[in-house]
Amino acid sequence: MPEAADIDRLRAEFEAALAGAATEPTLREVRDRYLARKGGVIAALMKAVSGAAPADRPVLGKLANQFKHDVEEAIEARRASLESGRPAADSVDVTLPGRQAPLGHLHPLTLVRQQIESIFSRMGYEILEGPEVEDDYHNFEALNMPPEHPARDMQDTFFLANPVPQTGLGTPGTRTSTRPAPPDRPATLLRTHTSAMQIRYMEAHEPPVRIVAIGKVFRRDNPDLTHTPMFHQFEGLLVDDGVTFADLKGTLTAFVREIFAPDTKVMFRPSFFPYTEPSAEMFIGCVFCAGAGCPVCKRTGWLEILGSGMVHPSVLEAVGYDAERYSGFAFGTGIERVAMLKYGVDDIRLFYENDLRFLEQFSF
Amino acid sequence: MKLLVSWLRDFVDLRQPVAEVASTLSMCGFEVAGIEADEVIDFEITANRPDCLSVAGLAREAATAFDVPLRLPWADPAGHSVTSGARAVPTPSRIDGERISVSIEAPDLCPRYAAALAEVTIGPSPDWLAARLTAAGVRPINNVVDVTNYVLLEIGHPLHAFDLERLDGRRLCARRARPGERIRTLDGEARALDPEMLVIADGSSAQAVAGVMGGAASEVWSGTRVIALESAYFKPASVRRTSKRLGLKSEASTRFERGTDINVPVVALERACSLLERIGAGRPVGAPIDVYPAPRGPVDLTLRRERIDWLLGVGVDDGEVARILTGLGFAVTGVPGGWRVSVPTRRVDVLREADLIEEVARHFGYDKVPSHFPPLRAVAPRPDPRMARKALVRHVLAAAGFSEAVSWTFIDAADAAPFAGPGEAPVPLAYPLSEKFAVLRPSLLPGLVDGVAHNRRHQIRDVRLFEVGASFSAAEGERHRVAFALTGAGVMEHWGGGMRPADFFDAVGVVERLGEALALPLRFADSTASCLVPGRAAAVSVGETTVGAVGLLVPAESERRGLPGGDEIFVAELDLDAIDRLAPIADTEVRALPRFPSIVRDISVVIDERLRSQQVRETIQRVAPATLVGMREFDRYKGQGIPEGRYSLSLRLTFRASDRTLTDADVQEAMERIMAALATEHGAIQR
Ligand SMILES: [Zn+2]
Repeated sequence: MPEAADIDRLRAEFEAALAGAATEPTLREVRDRYLARKGGVIAALMKAVSGAAPADRPVLGKLANQFKHDVEEAIEARRASLESGRPAADSVDVTLPGRQAPLGHLHPLTLVRQQIESIFSRMGYEILEGPEVEDDYHNFEALNMPPEHPARDMQDTFFLANPVPQTGLGTPGTRTSTRPAPPDRPATLLRTHTSAMQIRYMEAHEPPVRIVAIGKVFRRDNPDLTHTPMFHQFEGLLVDDGVTFADLKGTLTAFVREIFAPDTKVMFRPSFFPYTEPSAEMFIGCVFCAGAGCPVCKRTGWLEILGSGMVHPSVLEAVGYDAERYSGFAFGTGIERVAMLKYGVDDIRLFYENDLRFLEQFSF
Repeated sequence: MKLLVSWLRDFVDLRQPVAEVASTLSMCGFEVAGIEADEVIDFEITANRPDCLSVAGLAREAATAFDVPLRLPWADPAGHSVTSGARAVPTPSRIDGERISVSIEAPDLCPRYAAALAEVTIGPSPDWLAARLTAAGVRPINNVVDVTNYVLLEIGHPLHAFDLERLDGRRLCARRARPGERIRTLDGEARALDPEMLVIADGSSAQAVAGVMGGAASEVWSGTRVIALESAYFKPASVRRTSKRLGLKSEASTRFERGTDINVPVVALERACSLLERIGAGRPVGAPIDVYPAPRGPVDLTLRRERIDWLLGVGVDDGEVARILTGLGFAVTGVPGGWRVSVPTRRVDVLREADLIEEVARHFGYDKVPSHFPPLRAVAPRPDPRMARKALVRHVLAAAGFSEAVSWTFIDAADAAPFAGPGEAPVPLAYPLSEKFAVLRPSLLPGLVDGVAHNRRHQIRDVRLFEVGASFSAAEGERHRVAFALTGAGVMEHWGGGMRPADFFDAVGVVERLGEALALPLRFADSTASCLVPGRAAAVSVGETTVGAVGLLVPAESERRGLPGGDEIFVAELDLDAIDRLAPIADTEVRALPRFPSIVRDISVVIDERLRSQQVRETIQRVAPATLVGMREFDRYKGQGIPEGRYSLSLRLTFRASDRTLTDADVQEAMERIMAALATEHGAIQR
């Protein structure tokens, strides 16, 4: 026989069921479950009440009728609310945008640079910047390019109208070398490569040397899709006992597989740089066509990615190292080139327009 | 260098298809720029290999790469010419009634000069010869000129043909140009020469710019009867300098300036004469004349076996080493521990042992060298704190809504001028690419203003850009800076309202934020920087050192750079080098957290409108007890109830002692002292 407590329990169950009925179909289910004439919860309750002891019947009947009334009213109210779509008075439209403090974006060249720095830091390299204005000795002569050397044409140079004092971030921290410091020379040109920094570092440090120099470089190229008179470069240098061409291959292969994809295919081909011997150009399997051949790789399936080689003994001798004992390798490439391949940028000039519609596509 | 593969097959027995020849040579270091009509390979020859700007040079490489014999129709000059060419004295010569006298006045620029005479009948070349030249990208002209070009392509040695009867005194002399001397070159241009340039002169005037281009006056023409063929060796640096100074490049100058074979001139003359006879264009008159005062022979180098493995990280079989070097034309003799290698004079790039190892490696195959990761024997040095600081600055500004710009290091002189230091001119480039790139930027701001203008042109109203980079001055050289520019909204548009345009204090807030991130106690004072609007410009300093400025860009400057007139551009720039020197990065030392409660008091004073809140703060700081731990302006009011020329400034002061709970009396006494000082020093009235 039903008791008042049973009606309270039914009421609690109903309230929970109604709270979960946020759509018309679920509300219809709740209504059917409670108000159906045959088999409905209320109908069953009424039947049970009519079978109760006569003494209890008036009280229970009143409670049951009240419950039935409340259920009908609550379901009707919810139905009306669902139909009108109107929210409760204190609710908000949670899909409206929040208040924004604006968020800026780092330049893609900075993002690539951070990755390069991180990879080589993990390989034990010290990351350096150097002066952007250089002297002829550090930019050319010490790198096995005496005056009138034909290779100077490979890097057509911007000269300053008048020399300026050398004050850049050039002198690397602590000098560990006991060799005499080279004379101060005023800067006369814009550096054509970051290799100049390698000379500055070796002048001040004894082997082992593991550095990556990174920053802006300048060459007399008129701007087009793939050239700008200013671009960014990074160059690595490792000098130690027993460094071989095999070490160069291993290091650069590890680098491209970090910065591109773990299964990147690589190829090394002989080339020429005045400051390395032997010299090698490194290629990776085309990132756009996976080696099948496309316009970007000129249908070869390969993309040139890094210049490299074993440090020329004349360069080691120029900084006072014993070239009989020490060997090393050097490598470098344009950061723009890596960024263009990584992000699919097809016009290098986009990096210097500072167009927010471009910059905002890159992460924070 | 365009290589006609059928020409190559004259010298090496290659059955491989053109594509395979191309790919094999490319793996030996000869980059293929393209293949034309399945018969011509366009190679990009690196600057160190002038010997391969020729069919013969590439044939030698192909013979070695494919391991087949090389057959050249002339004797290899490396061995024989040292003795045969040793005629030290200029020799006037008379041959069959024709004569020419040859002399060298500048042996430092021209160590060897050879010449031959030939009777010729000028006419077109036979089709096969014209076709070969055309395929190699050289336009046929007439049989004599074509033969010189043919030899140039085949052997790689430039020849020049003079019309003998147009040479005054029938003499050729290699001498420096006379002051003021001029020549009309074959391209029709009149050119001024200087005494550092080598010329080939006849009895009266320059007839050729040595190694660069011949002169029009003695050019071979349809009526030429006898030619003097020049085959010389000119110093590479001299040709390079002359070619650069004249702005004149030619097939000849490209080869001479990289270095030709000093022992090939007579071979090249003989080859040319035999070709003239073969095509019926003429016949040589007598034997060539050769002035070669100081003959040079091959250089001997030692190649140690163990150094190959030492440098490459892989050993190469002895037989393979000898095969490769011999194939490339080196004379190789076994010695204990390695080889003695005689380097032919055409190999101007091979000067020491490492160069020989590269030769071995190129033909051994870079792909056969294993890949190995070098061991790390020491911990890497700690990163440069200055670079870490730049990275921090970048992140702080990006988090403050600024996107990172990278702009040109060289800019227009007019754009640079307003941003140069007082009394300073920007650093000019010697030969800028254009007016747009004329001077080194004295500040990062001109580039950022351009960036703002670019975005405004593309309908972007709210622009926040920053840059970290170097700026330059004649006195101080290179300085590293950070700068930003801000225009449009200070608080972004939102459906809930609250949007407002950016103002001076938005820019100051960003500078303060940088100061906080860099742990720098920044001070602000009125600035007179010429690029900023007075009254809305502040100099930023740390202690006594000015480290930058912040303010509103002068409207004239933003308008001149194409920005809409009404736009307010707020900018700031800080000198990172100065900051590096002021504040070496140090580890934080933590202060104990306060254990006693603090007491807060507000104070409102009416003061003269010319007084800066900085001065008010400093006065309070000076007279307040050490228990004053915080001070912040919270209201500034001007208007009703405040006399003209004055304003009301409200500050919230926080007092706390580290060793006890302060009493009201303690704070009251401090407040009275502060008010008294403000009254006497600034005429402040409590409100
Ligand atoms: Zn591709």
